[in-house]
Amino acid sequence: MSPPPPRVCFFPPQCNLNPSPKRTLYFEWWGGSGPPHPPPPPPMGLGPGVGAGGGHIKIVGPLRVFRCLLRGWDSNPGPNGCASSRAAGGAVRERTGSAPRVEPEMKGRAPEVTLSGAEGRSAAMAEESKGGYSEHDDRVGGRGFSGRRKKGRGPFRGKMYSEMNNRNSRNRGGPPNARQRPEEDDGDVAMSDAHDAPRGRYLPYGPRPTRAPHLTVRRDLPPGERSSGAARDGGRRNWFKITIPYGKKYDKTWLLSSIQNLCSVPFTPVEFHYDHNRAQFYVEDASTASALKQVSRKITDRDNYKVVIIINSSAPPQSLQNELKAEEIEQLKVCMSKRYDGSQRALDLKGLRVDPDLVSQSIDVVLNQRSCMMVVLRIIEENIPELQSLNLSSNKLYRLDDLSELAQKAAGLKILDLSRNELKSERELDKVKGLKLEELWLDGNPLCDTFRDQSSYISSVRERFPKLLRLDGHELPPPIAFDVEAPVTLPPCKGSYFGSDDLKVLVLRFLQQYYSIYDSSDRQGLLDAYHDGACCSLSIPFGPQNPPRNTLNEYFKDSRNVKKLKDPTMRFKLLKHTRLNVVAFLNELPRTQHDVSSFVVDVCAQTNTLLCFAVHGIFKEVDGKSRDSVRAFTRMFIAVPAGNTGLCIVNDELFVRNATAEELRRAFVMPAPTPSSSPVPTLAAEQQEMLAAFAMQSGMNLEWSQKCLQDNDWDYGRAGQVFTQLKLEGKIPEVAFLK
Amino acid sequence: MKGEANIWELSSESSKTDFKTYVDQACRAAEEFVNIYYETMDKRRRALTRLYLDKATLIWNGNAVSGQEALNEFFEMLPSSEFQVNVLDCQPVHEQATQSQTTVLVVTCGTVKFDGNKQRYFNQNFLLTAQATSNSTVWKIASDCFRFQDWAN
Repeated sequence: MSPPPPRVCFFPPQCNLNPSPKRTLYFEWWGGSGPPHPPPPPPMGLGPGVGAGGGHIKIVGPLRVFRCLLRGWDSNPGPNGCASSRAAGGAVRERTGSAPRVEPEMKGRAPEVTLSGAEGRSAAMAEESKGGYSEHDDRVGGRGFSGRRKKGRGPFRGKMYSEMNNRNSRNRGGPPNARQRPEEDDGDVAMSDAHDAPRGRYLPYGPRPTRAPHLTVRRDLPPGERSSGAARDGGRRNWFKITIPYGKKYDKTWLLSSIQNLCSVPFTPVEFHYDHNRAQFYVEDASTASALKQVSRKITDRDNYKVVIIINSSAPPQSLQNELKAEEIEQLKVCMSKRYDGSQRALDLKGLRVDPDLVSQSIDVVLNQRSCMMVVLRIIEENIPELQSLNLSSNKLYRLDDLSELAQKAAGLKILDLSRNELKSERELDKVKGLKLEELWLDGNPLCDTFRDQSSYISSVRERFPKLLRLDGHELPPPIAFDVEAPVTLPPCKGSYFGSDDLKVLVLRFLQQYYSIYDSSDRQGLLDAYHDGACCSLSIPFGPQNPPRNTLNEYFKDSRNVKKLKDPTMRFKLLKHTRLNVVAFLNELPRTQHDVSSFVVDVCAQTNTLLCFAVHGIFKEVDGKSRDSVRAFTRMFIAVPAGNTGLCIVNDELFVRNATAEELRRAFVMPAPTPSSSPVPTLAAEQQEMLAAFAMQSGMNLEWSQKCLQDNDWDYGRAGQVFTQLKLEGKIPEVAFLK
Repeated sequence: MKGEANIWELSSESSKTDFKTYVDQACRAAEEFVNIYYETMDKRRRALTRLYLDKATLIWNGNAVSGQEALNEFFEMLPSSEFQVNVLDCQPVHEQATQSQTTVLVVTCGTVKFDGNKQRYFNQNFLLTAQATSNSTVWKIASDCFRFQDWAN
């Protein structure tokens, strides 16, 4: 049996990770949807690192030049005008053979930037140029550019169809990720860019960066890897999503067999499905994917359209996603604790998937999958709920649904870094707007490009996070309108409210007398308390407050809830009217013992002729089916004056519910003096003397003094000590002192 | 509430009127009032004090608040609320207590969630009094008493 995993402790920090330092501005607007604005294209001549011979050819130079040419930038007029540059550009993309890499072709050649070089290639490439173009699908949901999406994007044209599926059209510029796609489809996008003048174009995060760095990275892989795309280490595979635009209209069998007929390698489509008009499936390695790519436009359908096949690197299909196992979760916890800075309460999960610790153990934590995100959130909830700063950048997050519970799990979170993910719409922010963020990073997400200008970006973000102070590393200007703090503090709750001392004495005396009769075996004595025309009704809770245990059954048949009871006859019947009926009704209720010391009284209204007060308290049932049940009540008394100091009840409304655990605990702390219908039993002379003395010394009335003495076996000294102690603890109710 | 006018005016000959009628009317007034009160409290808080008499008193968990101005301040300061009334009981108040001014005792119980606080059970009672104007009867709160069931916690 293996030893239990080491207990992961998030304190003290094992690694002092600083929160992301404030980023410097690379360009006029904020953040960036990719790496820093690439350096300006090199002058005609060598780009950095471009050289003949093998080794590391940094393609940045020549390729950038091509792209510049493609874009028609004035700063770098294409030597041959557009056509051949495009061809070259197309050729760069277009690959034959197994490895979809560009380098081998470039390798050993003179730098393409020279005129001759370009020309030299153009002939060879010409034939393939069409092929290069063939990737370009003119269709934008309708022929031509008529389907431009405006959507506040200004000069941006709508996405070309060929780039619709292209999730990684932006260069992440992150750590070398072995899962780089072999290529991108957006090369031809540049073509339309040429229409848009570089000037006047809103590019908040700079122009789209090149793909070049991808290529150099791939170069680093051992050749075997590149060509076969075989699993590098246990379990990790290279998945690709294959898309056939408008594939839905084809018969699946025809489609797949037609493709297979032309494909140089056998392939197994995984999770074939349709998405809108597209047909899609997954294949497991790069060579298969590139082979499929070669088939694009080789098949002509009945309507004479060429069947286009687009490939993209992808996460493994949903059906094959594995949940993390327990041991993996423990290792993940260790990994996360290393990435946690206790002094800042900051957790850095940037690019978590490629964390060396996880990779070395073949633990695949893909944060854009719900199961993985949930595990991470749970670890946070259980270990560091006090988290204040969370970095989730570079995790290919395309939606924030899985973060919706973050607000509960890490309520104190103030800093959130979502930069360099794949969030496409500001609406994703709605899913986490419960967070009271002070600092947010969103740069590097497609959503940043959907704003007309900086201020609409800011205000849109602020809508969700009104308290935000910093966005993408910038201090935010103060909001235009001050938002008034909505109050959340309740006034403190206090005990009884009598209004005046006189009223207090009056009411307490009344209650004392009333309940001593009420708690006796016969409530007939209450007749004197009620007015001839008095009425009385009873109510109990409706709904979940009334649990099945400790039922209020005895009260149910008489309870009157006008909200639920609509029948006027019943409404009338349940209201007891006249003194006799009232007392008869009260006599039928279970025998009780009230804890007068628990009473809280609110005097609601007082006039010359009316006194209205509410009594809240606890009682115990001393007989019947619910014997010993402890109940809580709220009773409304409306009384008219009677005699000099008396009250006469005209309205009586009793609400009974079960006592809560807390109320149970506090109730009957000091035993209520046992009421007895008979007068005080005769005391021996000695006892009477003791009683008188005790009453005078303690200040309590005779009844309570006697009780205290009795309970202490008429030991004067002890009774005195007990009294003093209880008085100190505030446990002696005021009624004890009423004479 | 305006529809109550004629009925209440007739009943000024109180001794002749059936007790049952009083009960009916009290129930209807209470029902309608409770709907309006809690809706106003939740959704139109600023209008709430209009439901109170000028000299009305509110005892809120032992805090006494009296008069329109104090009530206004109090309700403004109170966080926004979500009330749910589960139990409603009411009685016509005996005329001897009210000097023949028609009054209804209204008792409610339910739950309330104030913004920033957890949901709690409450008990509340009102004395509603009918104020006759030239063409109608308007009910106003003469007293209001509110307490959380767990106020001591």
